[in-house]
Amino acid sequence: MAERPEDLNLPNAVITRIIKEALPEGVNISKEARSAISRAASVFVLYATSCANNFAMKGKRKTLNASDVLSAMEEMEFQRFVTPLKEALEAYRREQKGKKEASEQKKKDKDKKTDSEEQDKNRDEDNEEDEERLEEEEQNEEEEVDN
Amino acid sequence: MAAAVAASGSGTPREEEEPGGEAATSQPQVPTNASGARGARLSRLPLARVKAWVKAAPDVTLAGQEAIFILARAAELFVETIAKDAYCCAQQGKRKTLQRRDLDNAIEAVDEFAFLEGTLD
Repeated sequence: MAERPEDLNLPNAVITRIIKEALPEGVNISKEARSAISRAASVFVLYATSCANNFAMKGKRKTLNASDVLSAMEEMEFQRFVTPLKEALEAYRREQKGKKEASEQKKKDKDKKTDSEEQDKNRDEDNEEDEERLEEEEQNEEEEVDN
Repeated sequence: MAAAVAASGSGTPREEEEPGGEAATSQPQVPTNASGARGARLSRLPLARVKAWVKAAPDVTLAGQEAIFILARAAELFVETIAKDAYCCAQQGKRKTLQRRDLDNAIEAVDEFAFLEGTLD
């Protein structure tokens, strides 16, 4: 059975947890409803991505960025998401910055110990963080899909 | 099915090994995204899955890490929102279990969910 990426749903545990935390205690969700919500989430991301892509193209960019997604939310009439998303984005940026500083700190400590193997590993990780983009990860996805 | 779950569960460690995997940077010590609520304070959805959906969108070339993250967070908010709206329907029926029909009702009732019509079958 050929599975399209958008058919890949979220892990049940994740969906269930998000739903349960959104609803009052004691409320359950049927399997069908849960999988429908899961599917809806993938459709939502697909739709949001297309919308965001339009904004990116307008700006003559090939890479989607955070503001494209935020603009897409408004376009899709999910303005109520914009504020919490902006907050989440700032928290995420702080965390990324903190991690970078932490790993640079680690590097400095390692330098003192002159552990060359660890240096190389940390350097690679830092480079990856700087240049991270949506790359071709077909192999990974195929491995995941392969049942 | 077990294989699929295992695959999605073990997908994240594989992501950590991969140079391009955000899982390594966003959740350094948490083994899986599915159960790592503590580490996933910012986003509970597996970023790898969100990436797969973004790649599936037509015409999309690349998406930055921040964009993927915000999409994951937006999807999470979306799940919460639609669950709450569907719950209103269930409440009216005095049920404590959300059913598929509650979801369908919510989609019909709420304009913002119009894009979902016909996609969930």
